[in-house]
Amino acid sequence: MPPDGLKNSRKRKQVDEDTYTPQNTVQLEMLTDEEDTGPVSSDDDETEEFPEIDSGSDSESDQEGIEDDDEQQSDDDSDELDSDASLRIFPKAKTEISDITGKPKRVYPEIEADYDSDSSTEDAPNRVGNIPMHWYDDLPHIGYDINGKKVLRPARGDELDKFLATVDDPDAWMSAFDKNLQLDKPLTNEELDLIRRLYKGENPDIGYDPYEPMVEWFTGKGKEEIMPLSAAPEPKRRWIPSKWEKQKVMKIVRAIRQGRIVPNKPKSTNKMEFFSIWSDQPSALQQPPAPAPKVRLPTNSESYNPPEEYLPTTEEQEEWKQKDREDRERDYLPQKYPSLRLVPAYDRFIQERFHRQLDLYLAPRVQRVKLNMDPKSLIPKLPSPSTLRPFPNYKSLSFAHTKGRARCLSVSPDGAWVASGDEGGVVSLWEVNVGRETKRWQFKNKVSSIEWCPRMDVSYLMIGVEEELHFLIPPNLPDDIYSRTKSLLSPSTLPAQPSPSPLTWESISLDGQSIDKPILSIRLPSSSGTPTHIAWHRRGDYVATVSTGGPQNNVWIHQMSRRHSQAPFKKVKGSVQVVLFHPTKPHFFVATQQYIRIYNLSEQQLLKTLNPGMKWISSMDIHPSGDHLIVGGYDRKLCWFDLELSDKPYKSLRYHTRAIRSVCYHPTYPLFASSSDDGSIQVFHARVYNDLLTDALIVPLKILRGHQVQEGLGVLQIKWCTRQPWLLSSGADGQVALWCS
Amino acid sequence: MGRIHQKGKAGAAKAYITRSSAVKKLQCSLADFRRLCILKGIFPREPKNKRKANKGSSAPTSFYYAKDIAYLAHEPVLKRLREHKAFAKKLSRALGRGEWSSAKSLEDNKPVYRLDHIIKERYPTFVDALRDIDDALCMVFLFASLPSGQRLPPDLIENCARLSAEWQLYVMHTNSLRKSFLSIKGVYYQAEAMDQTITWLVPYQFTQNIPSDVDVRVMLTFLELYQTLLGFVFFKLYTDAGLVYPPPLDVKKYEAAAGVGAFSLQETGRSSSSTNPKHKTVEIDGRTVSGKDVRQIIKNIAASEEDSEMDSSSHVVQHSPAASQEEDFVLHPSKHTETDASLPTYKSLETLPKPLSTTLFSPYTFFLSREISRPIFEFIIRSFGGRVGWPASSGDGSPINMDDLSITHVIIDRPMPPIALSVQEKEQRSRRKYVQPQWIVDCINAGKILLEEPYTQGQTLPPHLSPFGELEGAYDPTTAINNGSQLEEEDSESEDQKAEDVDENGDRHDLKSSLKNVIEDSSALRTAELAAEVAGVDYDAFKKEVGKLERKKAEEQPVNAVEEDDMNKMMMSNKKRKLYEKMRHSQKKKESERIVLEAKRKAIMKQKKRDGKH
Repeated sequence: MPPDGLKNSRKRKQVDEDTYTPQNTVQLEMLTDEEDTGPVSSDDDETEEFPEIDSGSDSESDQEGIEDDDEQQSDDDSDELDSDASLRIFPKAKTEISDITGKPKRVYPEIEADYDSDSSTEDAPNRVGNIPMHWYDDLPHIGYDINGKKVLRPARGDELDKFLATVDDPDAWMSAFDKNLQLDKPLTNEELDLIRRLYKGENPDIGYDPYEPMVEWFTGKGKEEIMPLSAAPEPKRRWIPSKWEKQKVMKIVRAIRQGRIVPNKPKSTNKMEFFSIWSDQPSALQQPPAPAPKVRLPTNSESYNPPEEYLPTTEEQEEWKQKDREDRERDYLPQKYPSLRLVPAYDRFIQERFHRQLDLYLAPRVQRVKLNMDPKSLIPKLPSPSTLRPFPNYKSLSFAHTKGRARCLSVSPDGAWVASGDEGGVVSLWEVNVGRETKRWQFKNKVSSIEWCPRMDVSYLMIGVEEELHFLIPPNLPDDIYSRTKSLLSPSTLPAQPSPSPLTWESISLDGQSIDKPILSIRLPSSSGTPTHIAWHRRGDYVATVSTGGPQNNVWIHQMSRRHSQAPFKKVKGSVQVVLFHPTKPHFFVATQQYIRIYNLSEQQLLKTLNPGMKWISSMDIHPSGDHLIVGGYDRKLCWFDLELSDKPYKSLRYHTRAIRSVCYHPTYPLFASSSDDGSIQVFHARVYNDLLTDALIVPLKILRGHQVQEGLGVLQIKWCTRQPWLLSSGADGQVALWCS
Repeated sequence: MGRIHQKGKAGAAKAYITRSSAVKKLQCSLADFRRLCILKGIFPREPKNKRKANKGSSAPTSFYYAKDIAYLAHEPVLKRLREHKAFAKKLSRALGRGEWSSAKSLEDNKPVYRLDHIIKERYPTFVDALRDIDDALCMVFLFASLPSGQRLPPDLIENCARLSAEWQLYVMHTNSLRKSFLSIKGVYYQAEAMDQTITWLVPYQFTQNIPSDVDVRVMLTFLELYQTLLGFVFFKLYTDAGLVYPPPLDVKKYEAAAGVGAFSLQETGRSSSSTNPKHKTVEIDGRTVSGKDVRQIIKNIAASEEDSEMDSSSHVVQHSPAASQEEDFVLHPSKHTETDASLPTYKSLETLPKPLSTTLFSPYTFFLSREISRPIFEFIIRSFGGRVGWPASSGDGSPINMDDLSITHVIIDRPMPPIALSVQEKEQRSRRKYVQPQWIVDCINAGKILLEEPYTQGQTLPPHLSPFGELEGAYDPTTAINNGSQLEEEDSESEDQKAEDVDENGDRHDLKSSLKNVIEDSSALRTAELAAEVAGVDYDAFKKEVGKLERKKAEEQPVNAVEEDDMNKMMMSNKKRKLYEKMRHSQKKKESERIVLEAKRKAIMKQKKRDGKH
């Protein structure tokens, strides 16, 4: 290492200056011979210093150098003392004046040969050397002396002699068997001492001193090497700082300067430093997130001392305790304490806080607009029913069918007579004004439909009974009407049958005619079901019937004048429920369970399909103007169609609690009504405007209740009186009621 | 034909992301994700159609906005959390190998995160932050009262206690406490700062331990955020009020349980010399921005002081006989409005919303007896400008002692001592008023000094009502008291009828018949009134009759209207009908609750009357 080398050289120079001992070089050689494995020169006690980083500052190294010198000086002094002390051990040299040179010289005493010298040999008689002595075991002699003569084996006594000898001789323990001489020999003092030393574990050599002072043979004062070992000039690296080291160091220095290496990072403090975080304007782009919803503020019941009425009764307490925590309206039970000091800790405080936090970070938040309005404002403002009179609002009379449900009824075109039929097969004719029965017909099967012919010049009823249609003439008709009716229903000359038909028109022969029996019957094909619906064309010549319950639906259109029946549809999709004639146009409405189809009869094509969105249509009626249609369904819905507008309902109403059975427009008044299985009849005001832009006005007027619900059936059919705002209804309880305004 | 749109590339499928996929995307653990969500204020959203958002599956999952998650991915805190994960691994390895020195150096270089940028992000303006400190205050006050343990390091608790004290100091300094409510859960306080109403709940002083069904990690994460938030908010509040933040703490007092008193407020001007220059610049920054606010506040304070002076002068008036008349109804100043209030009377003026006096207690000196919870009442009284003292057992730092002559009220919560009082005590009692603590809270809620009689020591207290009011349409105990008189009226009515039967005085009948048609219109009422005067019927009786008839009519009239409404409901669209039904449902519920409570009240009143008679 260059600095060390420098130091050594410097030291050498110093030694040169301080002491001068030219003589000892001579003896040195000899001494080295003797003690070549002497202690390695430990130079000086100074520990090796870490090479200091010399980053260009010379002054510092100079200082250090000076310090080093001082240290070394002191060290050298101590060395001198040491060397003086060590010199005393060696044989003292006398200084004499040489005869030859005349200069003083050291003279050491002569070396005596002693123990470890070769010349000191005992004069042992046996000279066989160090051989295994058992070779002589069988021989009388034990070896040869220096002159080659046999050395005879000494006589040796037996064990008893040996023992006696030990007893006699007090020094026997100090003798040992000499193998060479084959006899016991007393040990010398030296040998005893040796044994003692071995026994003690000491070095057997007396002259050995384990604590000999160290002798500096090559170092120390006066022994410095003056001459360099090699003649090579000292390399530059000894004094020029290393470039590579500098580069490495500079890399670190740069890192420190740039702050990449922090020598002693200050310990991160837990303390937050607060500052004015809102001092700069918030960026307009950044929208603040919606604030968290606030907790509801406490109400009176949470007070520690609430008014007494807030305290729960024992039942309420029980109920509260049995409810799940989530279902409870309040998360606490109101309690009353006489004074504040008695109020205990609230045991669910931390849980409630925790749940609030769960709400804050786990619950999806939805912003709801809180409607701060009176719910009554949602109810549409409609004209008051009292301003829309007249409409039926009370039951004025009722007519009872005793034999079963009053299935159907019909009002005569002049509005004076009502015919109603029941399931017992009775058809009663009675006066609207009085409610007196004037005529009764009895049929075998239940009467499922009745419809009065709309013609004013003739007067007869059409009745649908199981697989048959009957025509009845009411009694007490004026003569001209009676004769015209009779000639229509049973003409003297029957029109020719155009083609063979499954239906048969049966007239009663003149002699068998009676007021009690139908004058004409149409027999529907067998197993075609009951004709549940009859719809007259406004002229009274055509009538359409629908029979249900058979294997297939049968829609028939019968022409009275020609006594001819035809099925307008070969195949109908779905089962037909109701059919209707348009009041002015040659259109025909067919309602299946879910759809209403409108056909043009003259062109024989489908015009439109209306979709009321019901599961099962029960009834249908068309407004006298022909532009509006109401449809009632078994799924409690009533739909108003504006035929000009759309094939979707203009208005869907659902107010009945059970299935709607019948709907009906009043022919002249702006009224319509619907009846339902819940036993109620709902009367509406329905004003229709000619102007296409104005929507129809529908105002609920009155709920008429009076029919009993029997076996789940309520009001089965309703009909309006033609000229009065009166309503007739037939119910499952067998009553037919008249509702007057 | 338009382009074919692939499924799941647009709309709800892209806008929403499920929680598990969000965790996967952020490459962090669920716990870290939760922590991030709490810190960043991200919460799940409810998609309109769950199946559309979740690839056709309708399994119950929580959804987040995909944009929210994308925004989380750039969060520096997330980076720190990842670093912390690596650090934890390294540390555990070092500990496992017994490399203590490297473990120590690792521990020294532990990654930490700061939340100030999150605060700025979540609350761009100061008002946003202030609006949201309700929960933060609740949490800090709760944790300040918890015992420290293994999961709650003591320095956390200490910091919470410090923050809560700082808030109380600010509220007391600015006199911004408005309302308080002693509930069974704790004490609710409501303060107003910068026009924001801040409500917080402080538990009663009992040792509570965190129950096992509560996830402490979640609470601590929230607390971490809240501590930072409150630090910044308080810094702004303090600097705007011209105070030094944080207020210096007197350790000696703090050790002696002086509570809020251990902190001392310092004006900025005075402290600027003592604080280091760096601190000063920050404060100056804060001030330059909000100098206007400071002036505004100063103005407000000045104004409120004037108000309070006026109020305190009016207290004298309230102690006059006029006040003693309404002795029973002292709590409820709003109920006397029934007297016909076309002209502004003293009482109608009284009910008008007026600026609450913020220095209500300034003329008084209070002494808390030792069973009173000092932190609660010291805070309330000092917020309203009162002086307050307490015995040494409640903590150090009481400015006055028990024998001080200036004490006007002693807040006491003990029953009356059965033993006779000594002469000295009697004298003391004559000078001071011994009231129960509810008086203080009722006073500040009423905004005036109430009469002490119902609240004196040993008395049964009047009910303590919520100052925050009830829900709309719910039962109101104050109006129920009015109706109490109505109850009596009904009783008297039956008596009247008996009397009528006995004496055939035509006057009354005439009056009644004339009144029947009177109700229809107001002009007729006027004439009837005159007629009654002529007949010599006294005004109160007349009023009573009118009231009765009106009530009867009101009962009759709706029958028709209700029917009509019922029918008109048919014409509502489905949507509106559902809405209507919902509204009606809640109304009905409230109604039924009210009816139940009223019935209970009536029963209680009757019971009391009966007990009084016997």
